[in-house]
Amino acid sequence: MSAFADESSNWWPLTGEFTAEATYVGEGDVERGPRKAVRNFDEIDSDIHLVLTPRTKFGVLRLGTEWERFSFGLPQNAALPNTLQSFSAIFGLDMQFSDSILVRVETQPGLYNSGLGHLFWDDFNMPFVIGGTYIYSPDLQLVLGVSVDVERKYPVVPAAGVRWKIGPKWLLDAVLPKPRLQYELTRDVTVYAGATVRAATFRVDDEFGVSHGIPRLNHAVLTYSEIRTGAGFDWKISPMITLTGEVGYQPYREFDFYRAEVRYHHDGGAPYGTVALHGAF
Amino acid sequence: MKPKMVSLHFRALKNVLFVPLLSLAATMARGDAVSELASFSVFDKVDLAQLAKSDVKTAHGPPMRNSRFLAVQSCYVAPGSPAQQIEALRRWNPTRHSELKVFQHTDLPSNPTPANFEKLKSAPGNASVRSLVAATQKLSPQLQISKDEAKKFSAGAAGAGGAIPAPVAAFWAEVLAARTRAFSSGGMAAEPPYDHSGPSVRASEEVNGLLREQEKIRRQFSALLGATGIGRGAGSLRPELYWELLDADDQGVVTLGASYNRGGSEGTYQAADVLYYASGGYYVALTLYQLWPVTVEGKPSTLVWRGDMISSASLGSLRGVERLGSESVMMKNITKAVTLFRRDSGGR
Repeated sequence: MSAFADESSNWWPLTGEFTAEATYVGEGDVERGPRKAVRNFDEIDSDIHLVLTPRTKFGVLRLGTEWERFSFGLPQNAALPNTLQSFSAIFGLDMQFSDSILVRVETQPGLYNSGLGHLFWDDFNMPFVIGGTYIYSPDLQLVLGVSVDVERKYPVVPAAGVRWKIGPKWLLDAVLPKPRLQYELTRDVTVYAGATVRAATFRVDDEFGVSHGIPRLNHAVLTYSEIRTGAGFDWKISPMITLTGEVGYQPYREFDFYRAEVRYHHDGGAPYGTVALHGAF
Repeated sequence: MKPKMVSLHFRALKNVLFVPLLSLAATMARGDAVSELASFSVFDKVDLAQLAKSDVKTAHGPPMRNSRFLAVQSCYVAPGSPAQQIEALRRWNPTRHSELKVFQHTDLPSNPTPANFEKLKSAPGNASVRSLVAATQKLSPQLQISKDEAKKFSAGAAGAGGAIPAPVAAFWAEVLAARTRAFSSGGMAAEPPYDHSGPSVRASEEVNGLLREQEKIRRQFSALLGATGIGRGAGSLRPELYWELLDADDQGVVTLGASYNRGGSEGTYQAADVLYYASGGYYVALTLYQLWPVTVEGKPSTLVWRGDMISSASLGSLRGVERLGSESVMMKNITKAVTLFRRDSGGR
């Protein structure tokens, strides 16, 4: 028995979910050919999102907002942006099509750029996802989805995953963007090993190319991707708040100005640490 | 799942009706049944002929404000009369189907002693039962017992007994027997709270909360519920009592249940089955049945509405899509249970 009996009563009329997450990645390297490397730069990622999830006749609405920022400690001559960030709204709907099929449609219209110095209409983007979950049994669910971003090099990216409760304490949650193998240590503490896959497109400012010696990068679209692999824990501090700590290694990262054909490939990974507070109310 | 059989009170007049009048009555009953179903349930449009040919139809109940509550409704058509369906429900034994994860089911007298729970000693040695044993031996905060009950546990000699060691079985036999006697004498209102750790939770308040949030259903069943011990003191109807050992979210759970049923006008029946005590997993679970006699393709049949509602601490933490998923799983489990029942009772 828990304290839910009192804490989950109707003192707050809205339901929702939130995340506040910060990650520090140590010094890594990328290169664009053998002579154009950017070395020993670190990274701080911040992500805050808040989504209200009111129940309606049609399903569970998802209405919220997200701020995400990648901040890189780059050397002065690097033709890469120091900051990539997005401010977006979240509009989505989770629907129950039958006792076996759940479907999510969600879009995040907002500004995806390298800072708020100069805002342009084409900083606006509206990526969206459509995904379905097939509930085969309480212990096994299959997930299929597609992510659409017209600014991305590959605008449509399909994905599949599985959520399998292997045993009373083991859960394989192999679903992007955070596939994990989890072990429930206690009722309130879960440990896990897994990965985080991040990929988003941003538009750099209109003088970025000139100021970095590659004029064709002015106002260019950049797809930034990274993968982290690590292990961590989720500690349920209260019914509404979970603290997550994670450490690991970032084995892959890429900056791709694909329309301008300028691409910085991963060349050297780095350790990272993440702290997050998340939960639902 | 074992509503008690109540004698039918056929009026003599029915025996002298002519066949054409019977057909007319059946057609009217059919229309009445569907419109009554629509009046209190989520099934506002039901085609009986189609439903008779299909599997059970399941839908989530109306959204409830209390996050611990969840409700699912289902309906189906079964062959035979409501009285026959009630009898089939009475006789049905869920332990015959391992996928339902009910390991033991035993009927109880109204004044049981610990000896009525002897079967606990022969519980299967699976992971669920082991989790119940482990939780009991350390008096885990997740155990839903009262402070007074917790004081009665004595670990005793380790290793004695089968899958459930003798001291653990003896503890539960004592708790379950006392709680059954309390229910017999004073209904759910007489049950001790779950206050072994954390705030006090009363199963009677939980079940009343579930009904309060589903006003149409509460009204539909108010006469029946008023005669039972569900959410109140002992009622005038005599319950059929039972206990079960089952799995809830991979935990072994011992639970106490009571079933009631009552015949209504025109051969209809109502039944209620409450799990008024659980050692974990859920605070309370209530299943209500409304059964109407209908004629489908010239054959006497029964339109069955079933409402399953549950209050559980773990549901309280679910939001958004997780909650939808939980409802889907509950719907699947109910579909599975109804399908197996219909198969066993010759319904499909």
